[in-house]
Amino acid sequence: MTVASRPAPARIGLARAALGRAGGYVAVFAVALTITFLLPRALPGGPLRTLGGGEVGDLDPAARAKVVAAYGLDQPLHVQFGRYLRDLIRLDLGESFNGGRPVVEAIREALPWTLLLVGTSVLLTAAVGVLLGVIAGLRRGRGKGNLLLAGVLLFDAAPAFWVGMLCILFFGVHLGVLPTFGVTTAGHTGLAAVGDVASHLVLPVGVLVATGIGQFFLVTRFSVASALHAPHVEHAHARGIPHRRVVARHLLRPALLPVHTQLMMELGWLVGGALVVETVFAYPGLGRLTFDAIQGRDYPTMQGTFLTLTVTVLVMNALADLTYPLLDPRIRARGRS
Amino acid sequence: MRAGRAAGWAGAFLLAALAAVAVVGPWLLGTDGRERVARPYEPPSAERWLGADDLGRDLFDQLVIGARGSLGIALLVALAATAAAALVGGVAGLAPPWAAATLMRIVDLVLALPFLPLLILAAAFLGPGLGVRAAVVAALVWAGPARLVRAGVLAAWSRGHLQAARAMGASAGYLLLRHASPVVAPLLVPVFVRTAMTAIVLDASLAFLGLGDPTIPSWGTMIHWASVRGAMLSDAWLWWALPPGTAIVVTVTALALVGVATEDRLNPTLRKDR
Repeated sequence: MTVASRPAPARIGLARAALGRAGGYVAVFAVALTITFLLPRALPGGPLRTLGGGEVGDLDPAARAKVVAAYGLDQPLHVQFGRYLRDLIRLDLGESFNGGRPVVEAIREALPWTLLLVGTSVLLTAAVGVLLGVIAGLRRGRGKGNLLLAGVLLFDAAPAFWVGMLCILFFGVHLGVLPTFGVTTAGHTGLAAVGDVASHLVLPVGVLVATGIGQFFLVTRFSVASALHAPHVEHAHARGIPHRRVVARHLLRPALLPVHTQLMMELGWLVGGALVVETVFAYPGLGRLTFDAIQGRDYPTMQGTFLTLTVTVLVMNALADLTYPLLDPRIRARGRS
Repeated sequence: MRAGRAAGWAGAFLLAALAAVAVVGPWLLGTDGRERVARPYEPPSAERWLGADDLGRDLFDQLVIGARGSLGIALLVALAATAAAALVGGVAGLAPPWAAATLMRIVDLVLALPFLPLLILAAAFLGPGLGVRAAVVAALVWAGPARLVRAGVLAAWSRGHLQAARAMGASAGYLLLRHASPVVAPLLVPVFVRTAMTAIVLDASLAFLGLGDPTIPSWGTMIHWASVRGAMLSDAWLWWALPPGTAIVVTVTALALVGVATEDRLNPTLRKDR
């Protein structure tokens, strides 16, 4: 969640608010850029320990100097940073310490899979969470509502990796109905290939949604339950408006505003959190790439994936920002005046 | 809302029981969970309730000792993150606009960072010590709650009786202590509970990825080894992977029940249809 925290005063136009928001994004990006550059260098256990897949600490001084010079690690930090930025503009994220493959290539392969996984699960998480939240909010304190609450809290408490492992065991091994690792099976073309990818998505998305809806559910349940006897709702009922419409227009719609805020606050978490699930299901996305890079002290890949993940969060943030006026008529009205 | 209150008490009772296990349990055990006392992969028996892992270490003992680590990190993180959230949120609610805006930008920044990868990076480089892990998790989870606290302070500030006291010339410090803190302090209960929940799951996730402390048994580490050593391929998952995961679910759910019960109690708009 970045920049939508403060509603702009009415006098300041939407244009200026948008400009301020864009500035906020640029600031976040700049800081992320600096962190991703500095963090791996500042932390103990530098790249020389594992460069090229082996222990380099044991190399004789001459060979060591050669390796250091080849990767530019002997330069002062600001020179390294300048070079990093220059290369970044050319979309050159360097080559992996581990095998020499261009980082951009690895990211280009992994990003679509992560976007597919995260995009699907974020949308479903919010939708399912809100839907169940409305149901539980309307039945607060009664049998079904309590049962739903208990169920959601249980799944919210379960670690995603553990649920994933149990799902693999149950759906993959015992029932054998769903693929449990990777994104494709060889030998499918056309529509069958689409179905194949979709079937590989079911378990990881299911786990992310089941373990992620908690906050959306609670926020919706809370706002629906607290507005249940609000004057405008009772008035709508008194006017004879059908129950369904009262729920949809007078309970659900206002409840969506805090849900939206919640979504913005959780984006960084939802995007990064996919990492664990990607690991469990051997899903070839950015999270796995990041994890492998960290384990191998592969600085260029690490930097590349961190930046890509941050930009992903920022773009999703911007999208969520843009949809806000659709939800809040007050902001639309301000734009018109 | 009688059911809600009963559930809240059930959660509190569970937590107390877990805390007792964490404090006293390890002393009553035969092993410290690291000694090889049985056959590798030994199934459960009357004597060894959950059998043994691939090195012949007692799994039940590991489970009991794991309670200590999970509750410990939950407590540490929740204390640190709640304090940070109260401080930053409180200051941002009272400070002049430019300072508040700067603080909230920092909060926004923390929220926009890819959270888990950053955590893994820090854990991988800084090592698996309990204090280090707690500090890293706390450094990442305080931001959301800080915003909540700030909203609470702002809401408290605009209340009628507070405005009236101010108009009568009350000082800022008096207003804060006497009138604002009773409104804001209850907000910290759910913040504390929620950061504790997050801490337990995050810490277990790190351990599952192999970044936990290898010298101390924990629930996440147990699941990690169960997964790596092939427990999921045989019946061994029943006594190796299922109990620690269930322990996590029970602990976090107990916290959630307490959290939901307090939130419901604190909200006056919900009270009338109790």
